[in-house]
Amino acid sequence: MDGNIEFTMGLSQGIAWPWPIAVYLFFAGISGGALSVALFIRFYKKQTENTPFLKAASLVSLVTIALGMLCLVIDLTNPLFFWRILVFYNLNSVMSVGVLVLNAYIPLVALITLFAFEEEIKAFKPLHFLLPIIDKLRGIRAPSEKLVLVLAMSVCAYTGFLISALIRFPIINTSVLPALFVASGLSAGAAAAKMIAVSVFKEDLHSKDMHTLHAIEWPVMAAEALFLFMIIMSLATGNAGAQAAFAGFHTGVWANVFWFGVVGVGFVGPLLLNFATGKAFSHSAKAFYMSGMCAVVGMMCLRMFVIYAGQLNAI
Amino acid sequence: MSENLERRRFLKGLGASSLILTPLVGCSSVKEKEDTNKPHYVMVFDQNKCVGCGECKEACNKANHLPKGKSRLLMEEQSSAVEGQPCPHCGKTGDCGCQRKFVRVSCQQCKNAPCVTVCPTGAAHRDEKTGIVTMDAAKCAGCKYCIGACPYDARFINKETDVADNCDFCLNSKLAIGELPACVQQCRYDALIFGDANDPTSYVSKLLAVKDSVRIKPGFGTEPSLRYIPIVKLGV
Repeated sequence: MDGNIEFTMGLSQGIAWPWPIAVYLFFAGISGGALSVALFIRFYKKQTENTPFLKAASLVSLVTIALGMLCLVIDLTNPLFFWRILVFYNLNSVMSVGVLVLNAYIPLVALITLFAFEEEIKAFKPLHFLLPIIDKLRGIRAPSEKLVLVLAMSVCAYTGFLISALIRFPIINTSVLPALFVASGLSAGAAAAKMIAVSVFKEDLHSKDMHTLHAIEWPVMAAEALFLFMIIMSLATGNAGAQAAFAGFHTGVWANVFWFGVVGVGFVGPLLLNFATGKAFSHSAKAFYMSGMCAVVGMMCLRMFVIYAGQLNAI
Repeated sequence: MSENLERRRFLKGLGASSLILTPLVGCSSVKEKEDTNKPHYVMVFDQNKCVGCGECKEACNKANHLPKGKSRLLMEEQSSAVEGQPCPHCGKTGDCGCQRKFVRVSCQQCKNAPCVTVCPTGAAHRDEKTGIVTMDAAKCAGCKYCIGACPYDARFINKETDVADNCDFCLNSKLAIGELPACVQQCRYDALIFGDANDPTSYVSKLLAVKDSVRIKPGFGTEPSLRYIPIVKLGV
């Protein structure tokens, strides 16, 4: 007889996780993605110098994860309670595991940034007090870079595992979500870091690092599109709950965010800018910044869509 | 590279990756072991007896010192009427209200509770002695993970304390002083029955042995302790 009584009311009133969580997922993805790509390139090319891209990526990573933490704290019912998450742990909880990862990740990102900016710190007198620290810790630079690469990927994946544990929401409760978030974190993180590298750290638009980056970007983007397609297909052909939640892709304001923001701006935008325009334009700085912004905006739209369409289409 | 070395590398990689993945197993839903020496408190809501007076809500509000107008349970009004068909009781087509019915909406006290699994601080926890899912307000950080994770949307933020709250069968307000939950005490129609299902002599055990009862959304695998005796249509 199970199943012949139901209720539709709820006690929570409204959605549990509003936009600050989407912004947090966005920042955490950018942070992990930017640093991962920079370190991939560093290891792959066996670089030892502080390249403009590494500087940009570590700075972006540090700033975004700090902003992300801010979003997380302001979303608490009482921001002054945040210390409780740092003091009490429950290893069955994805969030608690994430806090442990972030506890190691954030200081390490700060350390990586410190190493990457050694020359800048030397050139800027008021920061000279940092030099002895850099000298003392120089020995652990290589191992901490390896460790932070693992942690950066973990942070990207963690944002997916965190919400995919919410079993009431078919759009969110999918096994592909962590992979999707890793892929979109890598592509948007790389885009954000390369824009900072060119604009602030005077990286050449056509340098070798930028070429490697272009070679990485397209396959990652293809993987991202594939993961999205997998989620859409599994919902459209899934059980009653999945089919009901599929409505999120074709009705309501969030469906527009998905098709115009995620697909239009995030995928079609960079493709058109790079392949549908003349070579003169697609190799220009304008196209470079525009397609970079497309990747970042597309990722933000994806997080907003997953959080809102996901929670609004509950079983 | 020789074939042998390749295989060794493969096995090494396999070992390393399984080591990395092992801790994640902890994050899967946790099935607690059944201990028949411990009580298993259940509540039965008999839909046939509920008239929807709502006094249970008021009693809950008072017993648990909740903000004005807030209680840990809601009553949802439903109707068995089929649109366009005449009412089998009064014969009228349209709004007659003969077939209205009510459903209790509250924490389902799952044996496999997602809120307990996801709570990062252990604030949403299972009481050691009674096995009832309850809150440690001093540990709750207000992250609302439990609210999103609850398949029944049965948890809420108490606006006065800023921490999450759920129906815990009045664990600290009534059970602690040896009384029945406030809603059960208040109900004048015996629509709510509370007791220990692991005690074969309890009224609730005897009732569940002779009455068909159902659980809500059993497909989530949460194994709720709240049971419902639904209204069934009579006749052929």
